[in-house]
Amino acid sequence: MTAALSRRTAAAGSSRRSPATRQRWVAYAFLSPAALLFLVFIAGPFIAAIVLSFYSWDMLTPARFNGVSNFTEMFSDSLLYKALGNTFIFAFASVITHIGGGLLLALGVNRVMNRALSYFVRTTLFFPFVISWAAVALLWKYVLDPTFGIVTYYLGEVGITAPDWFTDPTWALPSIIAIDFWHTIGFTFVIMLAGLQTVPKDLVEAARIDGAGPWQIFWNVTVPLMSPTIFFAGVVTFIGAFQIFDPVQIITPNGGPDNSTITIVMYLWQKGFQAFQVGYASAVALLVFAVMMVATLFQLWLSRKWVHTQ
Amino acid sequence: MSDLIPKIDAPKPAAVRRRRRPTAGSLLIDLVLLVIGVVMVAPLVWLVVQSFTQERSAFSIPPGWVPKPFTTDNFEGISGLIPFGRMALNSLQVAVISTAGSMIVSILAAYAFSRLQFRGRDSIFVVMLAALMVPVQMTVIPVFILMRHLGLIDHLASLWLPALINVFAIFFFRQYFNTIPRDLDEAATIDGAGHLWILFRLLVPLSGPAIAAMTILAFEASWNNYFGPLIFLSSPENMTLPIGLVTLQNGQGGSSVIVFAAITAVVVPVLLLFLLFQRAFVASIATAGIRG
Repeated sequence: MTAALSRRTAAAGSSRRSPATRQRWVAYAFLSPAALLFLVFIAGPFIAAIVLSFYSWDMLTPARFNGVSNFTEMFSDSLLYKALGNTFIFAFASVITHIGGGLLLALGVNRVMNRALSYFVRTTLFFPFVISWAAVALLWKYVLDPTFGIVTYYLGEVGITAPDWFTDPTWALPSIIAIDFWHTIGFTFVIMLAGLQTVPKDLVEAARIDGAGPWQIFWNVTVPLMSPTIFFAGVVTFIGAFQIFDPVQIITPNGGPDNSTITIVMYLWQKGFQAFQVGYASAVALLVFAVMMVATLFQLWLSRKWVHTQ
Repeated sequence: MSDLIPKIDAPKPAAVRRRRRPTAGSLLIDLVLLVIGVVMVAPLVWLVVQSFTQERSAFSIPPGWVPKPFTTDNFEGISGLIPFGRMALNSLQVAVISTAGSMIVSILAAYAFSRLQFRGRDSIFVVMLAALMVPVQMTVIPVFILMRHLGLIDHLASLWLPALINVFAIFFFRQYFNTIPRDLDEAATIDGAGHLWILFRLLVPLSGPAIAAMTILAFEASWNNYFGPLIFLSSPENMTLPIGLVTLQNGQGGSSVIVFAAITAVVVPVLLLFLLFQRAFVASIATAGIRG
């Protein structure tokens, strides 16, 4: 932040005001669109959401002050626990599969290999990421269809009887985790690939000359040098996964069999925009914010233990 | 950062490539990667094939991988069910306005944070950064109430107005501007240049990769936005494509092949654009990742 200190303009003052004053007014002018939009669409609504969480309101009749009862209600809301549990399962599964898978794929593609093959793999891995969740979710509903879906057919060919993915409570959430992997892995993969390029080749070479095997090089050279990238990808993946909504709402509009796929944001949406319990939904939103805040701080704390900085 | 971009798919030096012969292990990894690539792209190929297949023979078992018999009827059937062209224009309008607007707003703010002196600068910057932690789901209910007061529910403005403030872009541009030497703007100032000239004739042209990266990410986010239109829009003629697709699937007498044709019509142009701008696209993610 200190590096940003700009010097005062040395311009010969054509205006009568001092250069510093003039610069201040220029700054406020440049900043005003962003500041106004920020107040109206982020800061204001943020405070309003906190206030609303202490009210009971259906958007039709006047709001009624409710004290902390929205929050006490949350403690005994079993569906909320279910949604929170599903969201944590989804988020942890995402972080583990995306980081692990993205790193392995990046290592594989980063090797000396045929250029055409490298191009093909990079493109196909990244393709799904540019497609909207709406299209992806619909496509996979068909791909996993029990009667004509290709997955069921090819699993059958190798002797596996596919379950009814979205109506079987055991498989509904794992199916969505798999679809999310297909859709989003390209993002993590590209970040990992970019991170791998920052690992100095001569360091890897030196380790190899010293007799280190591929496994030792991976754990003792590559992973420590890539730890900032891995950390960034982990935080971003967790935050994104914790807010998962689109595929769940499109594929399982009612929260799936036995609420097996309902996530916290979907629950918030149901409460706020279907049941019109605006105050309660705001309390749930506050909970989402708190969880993300704690998770990010925890990850920051954790990162000091293992992230390697030059 | 900019030197990272060409590196991503720069060819390996010939010396390195020749040093080791392909071993069985390395060939096996190649094979595994090839299979993964094929599996990744298979659903998309299947999608396109079914959307060009006549309804009675589509979704056959075993799955067909060539459209037989070939037809384009399914695409003609889409507009009978949803105003597809209208929705595409709506999506485009929201994406263009929100992307262009947010880039201008962010560039101006980033200049103030990077180059100008004013009271409270650092605290304002920190407050804005903290907002990166606020999930959109938390602010959506108050924003909805605000939009209702403004009479903007079911208007496209309810989508692009809140998207004009892009805190990540402000942060990203400020970091980038900070890497551009200040001597350049001082020289320009001595020559009599004003702040707007310095910003748009000097800093912006020097920030090409950063602006391209953020433009792509912002456009992508708006084009694919599902949550926003679900909340703020209601009538079919004001709707954007992602919701249009989903309503199509929720049965309006449309057959599955028409749903597939609609998904293809949405997905294929995006994929072609991606192939054209692949480098910029991948670099935008990579730079955002390294910078973030």
